[in-house]
Formats: sequence, C-alpha cells, structure tokens
Amino acid sequence: MAALRVARGLFRSCRGVQSVDYDARALFLGARRPVCTSSSDDISGCEGADGVRKAQFADAEVQEILTRITGLDLERVFKPIKRELKPPKYKLMTDAQLEEAVLRAREQAGKLLKMPLVVPERQPIDDVLAEDTILEGMDTAKHVFTDITFSTPHRERFIVVREPSGMLRKATWEERDRLIQVYFPKEGRKLTAPPIFNEENLKVMFRQDRHEEVLNHCLVQFEPDSADFKKVHTLAFEHLEQEAKYEVLRSTRFFGPLVWYLVTRRRVDGLLTDMLQRDRLQDALSLVRLFNLVHPQSDCALQAVQQQATGLDLLKIFADCESQKSGFIKLALQTYEHSGTDIVLTAPQSKPGISAQHLQTTHGELGIPDYRSF
Amino acid sequence: WLPSLLLKKYHGGHVVIRMALGGATNRPFYRIVAAYNKRSRDGKCIEQLGSYDPLPNIYNEKLVGFNYDRIKYWMGCGAHPTKPVAKLLGLAGFFPLHPMTVTEAERRRKAALTESKAENLSIVTLCL
Repeated sequence: MAALRVARGLFRSCRGVQSVDYDARALFLGARRPVCTSSSDDISGCEGADGVRKAQFADAEVQEILTRITGLDLERVFKPIKRELKPPKYKLMTDAQLEEAVLRAREQAGKLLKMPLVVPERQPIDDVLAEDTILEGMDTAKHVFTDITFSTPHRERFIVVREPSGMLRKATWEERDRLIQVYFPKEGRKLTAPPIFNEENLKVMFRQDRHEEVLNHCLVQFEPDSADFKKVHTLAFEHLEQEAKYEVLRSTRFFGPLVWYLVTRRRVDGLLTDMLQRDRLQDALSLVRLFNLVHPQSDCALQAVQQQATGLDLLKIFADCESQKSGFIKLALQTYEHSGTDIVLTAPQSKPGISAQHLQTTHGELGIPDYRSF
Repeated sequence: WLPSLLLKKYHGGHVVIRMALGGATNRPFYRIVAAYNKRSRDGKCIEQLGSYDPLPNIYNEKLVGFNYDRIKYWMGCGAHPTKPVAKLLGLAGFFPLHPMTVTEAERRRKAALTESKAENLSIVTLCL
C-alpha cells in the first residue's frame, strides 16, 4: 500500500518534468565557460563599405590564428588556484604514463583556453505591448511577470512589466538579467554587480596585475553582450596596452579577445614589438596575417596580396605601411636576417630571460635593443 | 456505473488554479498552484505553476512568476482560475483584463480625488 503511494507520488512528480530541449545558445548561457559559436550579429556588418567581406571574430581562420598566438603554457594554465587545503597526492608513473598524462593535460588546457565570445553590444529594449490608461492608480508598485517555463532559453523568455500607469512593456536588459538570476540562479553570479567592478576598484586590481581574476569574475557576472562586460574588458585591455604588459594575459583565454581588440582598432605596434622582443616570430607573422584578414582594404594587406609575401617580407610591408614604431621592427628583422639559418621558426616556450641569454651566447653582441629608445 | 463512480477518488471536484499562502508573520508569499478544489488551501497540490510576492522589493517591483506552458495545459484540462489569479494573469497580458481590476482602479481614483478635495477643504478652513 505504502509502495503504491510512493510509486504514485513518483509518477506525479515525473509528470511535471518536461524533456529539456537545450539548444546551443541555452547551453552557452547555462554553462560556466561560454564556447565560441557563430554570432548572428556582426561587428561592422558582414560586408564593409566596399562590399568586401570583413573577417569576424567567430571565423574559423581567425579563431585558429588567435589560439596559435595565445600559446599553451601548461604551467600558466594550471597555476594553483586558491582552494581548500588538502594534502598533495603523489603518483608513481612510468615515462610512458607521464607522457600520456601530459598529453591529457594539454587537451584539458586547450579546453580551458576556449575564448569567451566577442559580440556586438546589445540594443536597449523599449517595446510597449499595451497602454491601458484605465488602470492608472491601480497600484503604487510595478508588477513584473516572468515566464518560468524550464525549457525556454533565457534569451527567449517573456519578461513583462506592468507599470502603475497601466502601461505593459517588455523588461529592460538589466531587469531581465536580474530576474533570470532570481528564478534560475547561476553559480557565482550576484543580483547586483559587486563593487569590484567600480572604476576605482578596477584600477586597484589592474595596478596589482590581477587582470585575469577580474576578467574571469566579469565573465561569470555579466552577459557577453552587456555594456558592463564590454566596459570592464575595454578598461582592462586599455590598461594592458598602455603599460605594454601583454605577458599578463599571454597563456590565458583572454589573450584572443585582447588581440582582436587591438587589431580592430589598428594598434598592433606594441604587441608586435613585444612579440619580437620575446623571439616569437611565428606569432608576429600570424598577427600580421590576422591584421590583413580584418582590414583587407588597408595598404599593408593590398601590398601583401600583390607581392604574395610570406615570412619576413610580410613584417617588412607591415612596418612600412602601418606601424609607428617601424624603426624598431626593421632593426629586429635585420637581426634575424643576419643570424641567417639560426632562426628557429617555432615559437620558443622558454621565459624571456633565458631566450636573451641564449641569443647572447649564439649571436654574440646582437642582443635585443630597447624599443623604448625609438 | 455506481460502484465505479464511488470508487473514483475525487468525484464532483475539479481542479483549480489558486494561490496558496506561505511565508511568515506579516510577510505573506503566495504560490500559484494547481490543486483539487476540496483540498486545503496550503495542502497537497497537483503542481506548482508559479509564485507571487505581494510585497514590493527595493526596486519597487512585485515579482510574479508564471509557468505559462503548464497553465495552458491545466486550463486545457478544465481547471478554473480563482479571482486573484485571473486578475494577475490579466495584468500580465496572458488573459484579457479582469473587469474588477478596472473597477478597483476607478474606485481608487475616486477615493484619491475625494481625499484630496477633503484635504483642500481642511486646509482652506485652517487658513480662514
């Protein structure tokens, strides 16, 4: 008898559960780490003013270039995070097992380095559904109606507001985010933005070189197309560009968006010089190629296409046309040319101190000049 | 026929969509619930379809949540909504506006008008 009641109870509770239909967007919004999907809205339209197709952030080629530039520093990706203290675990492995473990760690690192989406900023919603002035004076407070159907994606949820004046309107983006957090709470997200995202506090964090923490927190707290998200990212990237501290974000998931930000605003010089200083020739070439993809109408790109340039010629063309620090880039290129066949075209994973030492021992006095003198 | 009718658990009852009161002292909170008619107000329900918080929050909003999909299902099964639920659904735009909402709004406006008139009169008499 009791078993029957339990079974009936179970059946009743099961009836309420619907088949959850996750589409890619719902998964993206529900998951902690948003994955790159092709964005339907473009930054500057699919075609530029001249009808030439501009590269977008979500293109396969662009993504590939950005992942290559980001690099895969295992030490950096698996840096110890603050967790509760546990005694360390030791494992005894053979060489083969160790290699396998390193391989799996690389794959995991690749997944952790998935870049967050860069999408155009969202347009404010101001849609009025009904103007019922006969309801005026009904109440002193607004009524906010949310659709709690579990299977609708958050973007398509109906959230309407009935004002005391009787107007029925759609909720604004901020109201939407807050209410979706109320009814479908996401881990780590607060209802109101924590004070770390105020300008002064952000500056304090940047001074301490904690950009990655702030950007991770921002990812969890805000939607990728919200104004706050864009503002925090802009401030972080501007600070990095001014201080030329690209190494802070080098092997993190935000390096791609940083590079994209600089490339779309044509301020690639600092990054390029930093890469050449650290002997990352391959990365520099990828950067220039990305620049040509994004700005296909610029002098640099047109000349490159004309001359079918590859390798150092690309960098020379770029130095001539676009950069303000052309002096330093040309000098660096000369050093590479003089060193001749000693160029290692795969970007070294070593720290900059070691590479400078290596350069001194193999190339004598041709050390790396200080680019700030130009 | 009769024996089978008598063996049916609920006969003569029907499903209603109503508000079940919860919360604490001086702090009401309603759950919008599909339940059998004869059940107690806060007792076992068939399904919870939403919630209603009658006290406004710091943004001066009264939060109401509706699971429209399931409400449509139960209305299709012949559930009767009660007056407050129908009013809320009318305000939400899901149902047409309830006539009592309009009447209440008119009454409040009239009351506010008479109150302001009385205030003016009292101010005038004070001045004189």
